[in-house]
This record gives sequence, structure tokens and C-alpha cells, in this order.
Amino acid sequence: MPEQANNKKRNVSRREFLKIGGTLAAGLQVGAAAGAGLAAGKDPATHTGWQHLGDNIQFVDRKPLEIDGNPYEKVGRARRPEAVEQIFDRQGLIMRDMMKSGRNEKTPRAIGDIPPESQSRQSPAGSGQMKFPARDQFADPLGSFYTEHPDIYDLDKLRMESIMPKRMKDMAKYRNYYTLIESWSGCWGTSEPIKGPPEKSDFQISNPMMGNTKLRDPVPFKSTALASKLIKKITHHFGASMVGIAKLNPDWCYNYGLRGSKNHGPYEVPKHWEYVIAFGVPHQWEQVNSNPNCGTSFDAYARATIAARRLENFIKSLGYPARRHSPMDGYDLIAVPILVDAGLGQQGRHGIVITPETGSNFRAAFVTTNLPMEIDKPIDFGVNEFCSQCKICAEICPSSAISFGPDNKDMTTRGYRHWEINQTSCFNYWMQSMGGLGCRLCLIACPYSRKNNWAHSLARTVATKDPSGLTDRGLTWFQKTFFKSPEAVEYLPPPDGRFATFREPPDWLKAKNYLDIDICDPTKGE
Amino acid sequence: MITTLELFVFLIGGFTGLIVAGAIAWTKDLGLKMTWWKWLLAALWYILLNFFVFLDFTLIGEGESGAGLKLLFVQAIFMIVLLVGLVRLLGAGRQKQP
Repeated sequence: MPEQANNKKRNVSRREFLKIGGTLAAGLQVGAAAGAGLAAGKDPATHTGWQHLGDNIQFVDRKPLEIDGNPYEKVGRARRPEAVEQIFDRQGLIMRDMMKSGRNEKTPRAIGDIPPESQSRQSPAGSGQMKFPARDQFADPLGSFYTEHPDIYDLDKLRMESIMPKRMKDMAKYRNYYTLIESWSGCWGTSEPIKGPPEKSDFQISNPMMGNTKLRDPVPFKSTALASKLIKKITHHFGASMVGIAKLNPDWCYNYGLRGSKNHGPYEVPKHWEYVIAFGVPHQWEQVNSNPNCGTSFDAYARATIAARRLENFIKSLGYPARRHSPMDGYDLIAVPILVDAGLGQQGRHGIVITPETGSNFRAAFVTTNLPMEIDKPIDFGVNEFCSQCKICAEICPSSAISFGPDNKDMTTRGYRHWEINQTSCFNYWMQSMGGLGCRLCLIACPYSRKNNWAHSLARTVATKDPSGLTDRGLTWFQKTFFKSPEAVEYLPPPDGRFATFREPPDWLKAKNYLDIDICDPTKGE
Repeated sequence: MITTLELFVFLIGGFTGLIVAGAIAWTKDLGLKMTWWKWLLAALWYILLNFFVFLDFTLIGEGESGAGLKLLFVQAIFMIVLLVGLVRLLGAGRQKQP
């Protein structure tokens, strides 16, 4: 009997041990799940910015997403873009006409013509106050453009008369706060203009030892598929995170301002621009999250540009004509539809491309050539349907440039149906923002612009494969409900807003952490 | 060479064994009449708990603390509701220990 009792006692104590041990182990395992989650979230390797997306990180298999046919529906007479439709070029035309007007009528000089060091002396209330000429005072093409688009005239007038002078005042007050982001943004500057028209510059290779030399005879490839494979590999090695190849649709080429040409008017698209290699990189992760007022475009611009120069030289060194089109060296073509044609992504509600890897966080460059290559197909991973119901970019846009429309069925640009934004309103906010100039808020607020950790990969995968759209709606609700960010108005200058940023800027972009200067912090209402 | 990940997986494996053994001991002590589907439901609840914790802390780790904590709160309520249902289900037909 005592032996039985002892056995029972031993059994009980073993069972007690298992019970306590099991409970403890369960607690530890839940703790381990928390720790592992924390590590997965913090892991910098999951950032979808260029510093962690080196070469050859095009990690989404596009084959199952490919579609046949044209990704853009033709809905009328297609035509190429004119200078007045492109906001930067229109700004140039405005300055030109205002300068003329200034010379003729002795009105004050235009703001863009004033050297930066003397801008601060031009008080908006003083002699520097500019007057935007009446619509009929502008020469063509601006004059007729404004007659056709009076809403754009009003927005341009607002920018030139109110927004830009206000920005100068804001700069004078807050510039010190943005010292580091301005330096970080400015340091990427690099440009090398195209020096001749396509028939000349595309057929010459720059050699530092020998100057410009003619191309050798084209080196034949074993097949177009191998040519495509090699070019993509090389482009990745030159610094591009994503690469695709398409046949160039001439409708995507500007109808003016061919770089290197003395003729700034319309031109025939060169015949040797048969193919276009489209590629690019995302922005650095921390700073793109600090948009609009503590971010920059120039980090990704510069990297994409350098890859373009290298690729242009590589193709030329094989004997094929080539021309780069890049953010720092300029474009002769419009980026978004070519990226779509090349299967890198789809156009979103905010007008720019959403890639399956880095979402809207992507800056593009191109090389046009006649090197025969196998082309990629456009892809469809549900962006159109997602953008129709999401509208996060429209809600957060401080310039109200992005449409809230239910779809893009009524949006037609130069004969093609696709999402479009009010470029002028968008640019008018650029002219109000601080830091590295520009906005980019829609790039980072887009739900596709997320990290590549397990949680976001899972969400992306499920959303792409769910035809019902329930996952899309659930994820949008989730982001709107749980991921709080400042309201649109908070990104505006004081007193309406506080120059907010989407996420807190990283420590290394905060001037107060490093510089011994007086700082006026607008985010704190100073 | 043993890496941190291998050590982590080894420890988690050990914990899982102990948890299973502990769960069996608990059911015996509590006099629960377990069937395969009851075990399955209990295991699913536990896996879901770990999944939610993993998800919430991933969000916290990537700098979205607000989203992670709010989600943790919502999921905690959801898991408690599920736990109450599970306990009632497991306790059905329970034999009281002498």
C-alpha cells in the first residue's frame, strides 16, 4: 500500500510538473511570438526602399499576372503631349511670357528669375509682388490653352500671385528646421544633358580617353530572348530594382522639346526608338515615409539616372544606338504608360505607377534603342479595382488634386482612358511644401507602398488572388481605421496646417539633433 | 554553426512538446472528455493566439505602434470570447474528480 501511495505521489508530481511546465512553455511561446514579430517588423531587410533593394530584387513573379492586349483603352483620337500640358514646361512658358510682359509694361520681375539669395529680400507685400497677366495677354500656346482651360488659369494665377510669395515667407521663417533634408535632397544633384539630336547623339559613345566615337557594327545576339535576359540582368547590376521591356508607342513621346535638338517644336519620333527598356528604383525608406515636408525625390532620381547612363553606354558599346530618358537628364517620353506597357505595374488613382513589389514608391528611367529584344506583357494585379474603392490617396492629398470618382471611366487624356489628376493643383502644393521640394505623399500613403515583411506579403498575396474584392475592402478599412496619419489639411503651411509629415522623420534628418542653429519648428505650432 | 534562428526553432520545438504534454495532463486532471475535434479546436485557438501576437508585434516593430496596440486590444477581446466558448465546449460532459 505505501508503495502504491508513493507511485501515486510520483505520478501526481510528474503530472504537476507537466502542467506547470506546459503552462510556462505556452507563456514563453506566446512571448517568443511577440519577440519574433517585433524582430520581423524591425528587420531593415524588409524595407522596400533602395538601400535594401539592391540589384536583381524583382521578387514578384509577373508571369501569372500578364495580360494580352493594350492596357490602355483607346477612346478617341490619340495625340502626343504638348508643352502647355506638362506643368514644368508650362511654368517655363509662363515665366517667358511674364518676362516679356515685364519688359514691355515694366511690371515686376517674375519670381523664378530672381536669384535665391535675393529672393528673401523680395517682400511679397513690397515691390516684388507679382501680378499675373490676364488670359488674353499670354501668347500662344498659353493664351489659347487658358481660354480652353480657365480653371487651370485660375490655379496658375493662384500659384504665381499667392502661393509662391507665401512660400518665400515660410522659407525665411522655417528654413533652418529643414536644413538637413534640404542638404540630403540637394546632394543627389547630378545631370549631364544630351548634347545632340537623336540621329547624332544616339549613335555616338562617349569615351573619356577618345572623346565621342562612332558605334561599332551591331553585335548580333543568339536570340531576342537572350538579348532581353542579358539587358535585364545588366540593368539590375547597374542599380535598377525593377526592369521591363516594351515596344515604344509613339503616342507616349512628347511632341516638343526633343533634347539635343535645336528645334523645340513638334518632331517625328526617331525610327530607331523601337524598343524601350523601362526600369527604376524606390526611394530610401525612412525619408519617403517623412513626406511631404521632410522627403525628397532626388535620391531615387539620381540612382535611376546613373543606371540609365550606364545602360545607354552598355548598349552603345554593343553597336546599337541608345538614348537615356531619366529624371536628372530629362525625358523625351512620358513615364507612366511605358512602365505599364513594360509590365512593371499598373497606373493608380494618383496617376502614377503602382508596382507589385514597392507599390507607388518607384522612380523610373528609360533607354530607347533598336536592339531587338523579347518584350514583356502588361500585368494586372487588381490595381484598378483596388483604387476604385480605396481613395486613401485622394483623402490625404493636401492639394485635392486626386479624384474621388468611383472609377476612371470618365477620364480621358489625349485619346486614352486612365486615371488622371489635377496636375496644376498638385504643383501648387509643391510650391507650398518645405524640405526637399515636392510632395510624394500619395507615393507613401498608397497601401501598396509597404514593407516586404510576412504580414504585408500575406496581405498582398491574398488581395491579388481574391476576385470578390472583399480582401481589398477589408485591407482598406484596416488601414483607414488602424493606421493613423495626419489629415490632409495638416500638411499645409501654417496657419492652416503645420507642415506635417506622413510619419516622423528619422533622427538623421532632424537638424535640431545635430546642428547648432536657431530652429523654428512648424510642427509644434511655432 | 548554430545560428540564432536554429536555436530559436529548437527552443520553440521543446516548448511545443512541453505544451502538448502539459495539455494532456491538464485534461486528465480536469476530467475533460477530449475528442479529436476538441483537440483540434483547442490547437486552432492557441495557433490563432500566437498568430495575432506575432502580427501585432510585427506592426509595433515596423513603427506602427498605434495600429499594433489597437489591433492587440480588439483581438484580445475576440480571443477571450472564443476562449469562453471553447471552455464551455471542452467542459461539456466533464467527469468531476473525486
